[in-house]
Amino acid sequence: MTYYFRTEALTVGYDGKALIEDINIGIEKGTILTLIGPNGAGKSTILKSIARQLSPIAGTAYIDKEDLMHMSPKEVSKTMALVLTKKLSAEMMTCRDVVATGRYPYTGHFGLLSDEDENKVTEAMELVNVLEIEGQDFNKISDGQRQRVMLARALCQEPDIIILDEPTSFLDIKYKLEFMSVLQKLKKMKGLTVIMSLHELDLARKLSDKILCVGDRAIDKFGSPDQVFTEGYISKLFNISDELIAFAKEKNIL
Amino acid sequence: MNKKRRYTITFILLILGVLLALFLSLCIGSVKIPMADIIESVKGNPVKNDRILWDIRMPRALAAIILGGSLALSGYLLQTFFHNPIAGPFVLGISSGAKMVVALVMVFLMDHAIGMSSGGLIIAAFLGSLISLGFVLLMSRRVTNMAMLVVSGVMIGYICSAVTELIINFANDAQIVNLHNWSRGSFSGTSWTGVYVMAAVVLVAFIWTFLLSKPLSAYQLGESYASNLGVNVKALRGLIVFLSSILSACIVAFAGPVSFVGVAVPHLVKSLLGTSKPILMIPASFLGGSFFVLICDLIARTLFAPTELSVSTVTAVFGAPVVLFIMLRRSREDVR
Repeated sequence: MTYYFRTEALTVGYDGKALIEDINIGIEKGTILTLIGPNGAGKSTILKSIARQLSPIAGTAYIDKEDLMHMSPKEVSKTMALVLTKKLSAEMMTCRDVVATGRYPYTGHFGLLSDEDENKVTEAMELVNVLEIEGQDFNKISDGQRQRVMLARALCQEPDIIILDEPTSFLDIKYKLEFMSVLQKLKKMKGLTVIMSLHELDLARKLSDKILCVGDRAIDKFGSPDQVFTEGYISKLFNISDELIAFAKEKNIL
Repeated sequence: MNKKRRYTITFILLILGVLLALFLSLCIGSVKIPMADIIESVKGNPVKNDRILWDIRMPRALAAIILGGSLALSGYLLQTFFHNPIAGPFVLGISSGAKMVVALVMVFLMDHAIGMSSGGLIIAAFLGSLISLGFVLLMSRRVTNMAMLVVSGVMIGYICSAVTELIINFANDAQIVNLHNWSRGSFSGTSWTGVYVMAAVVLVAFIWTFLLSKPLSAYQLGESYASNLGVNVKALRGLIVFLSSILSACIVAFAGPVSFVGVAVPHLVKSLLGTSKPILMIPASFLGGSFFVLICDLIARTLFAPTELSVSTVTAVFGAPVVLFIMLRRSREDVR
């Protein structure tokens, strides 16, 4: 069968040095795919390569049968939107201004917003519940609000795929849940495909359709949460020693 | 909409400010020229002192308008480029680099009794700007800290100034007077030919910059987001370097280095507008720079008349506190 998004012998890394080799995965439209694995394994590198921020060393990826590496920058911007860990710099911008930047691929030469663009901005903000703070300064809102504004911005690009690099890192538990519920809603309402990396294994397990385990230098496992989260696997993936496992069992952590 | 009103008012204020400053610059001086005379003269009627008006004051005032605007715009571009609110052509040593090459070329050519055209001066200054900016760019790969980058820029500026002094030592007495005045920064003695050349270069650079407003607005968000929005970040960075260098080269070629306008004016204008959108900031910075430099030049030549101060002295008095203020506010934000 043909997948909506798939990678073909994709090898990613920096400066010609391969970090993760030979990635072959495929997902269907409207899937939430989560990358998990130890720090520094290469989750961000994979996401950056898929998002075309970094050229892959070998192989390629396809979206709807179209070769991603041969798409024009403009096409890419209408297909994929990013939410990064790194803070977006926004000087003297209201939340609405930030969200409106997502309309960039659709505006004319001077980037002026038409009424239709304005409506899309409002719609996106409504969808992630940030319309009530549209007039506030982006640098003065809470982390949870900021992440949702960033999501609204990404939605304004009208992408088919949203790529998020550790979107919940700085959020407390309430905001984490809120953010995840918004992602689920988008998936159901818009058929949005989500590719993200997460640190929180419990969230990943419960909210994802597919899990990609990024181990040392290679993909360790790819499948549904039930296939991946088997007894003893996580401690192996994260390279946790027996001593630590014993400690965790004693304290009832894992 | 409230915002639109604020933008309109800001632009009206800036334009009125420039016009007012222009009139003052034409009226005030060792010879007072009344406003009525200026209006008559513009209409084409002969008035007393119209040679002073048209041969001395008008080209000088126009030079201040054109070069002040280009300086502020160059500063705005550099701030956008480095994502750093205190970057500017003077602070980063770019003006000093331009000054060095211009001095070198001037001394060499004078020795061979070759006069230099204003176009040649611009090209020399442009090369000098690029050399300094190249150094700053190399530095910026290693230092990401905002203050450290500025410190390295200031150091590059000092090195270039030292080399310039050295070059001036090799010049003969007649040249020294010329070079010395010029290297301190002054608009005095601007000719109409100079005005035409600078107007042409700055106009092209300004329009080009203005056409870049949209990609610049994406670049402001950060490079990853800009490239995700379809911006060719590498090409854009090259263009910003080119345009900011040519703009700051113009001022050095015609008036010598003028300090702090590039940092202070965009900041003040941004506070007036209440937004950092390039499409508004580009023309507003230009107008703000014109106003600021016109007023500073007026003060420079009238405060201790008949002795003239260098423009740079006056711009520093007003500009440097603004830079200090930005740095203090930034450090408070970092703590928070």
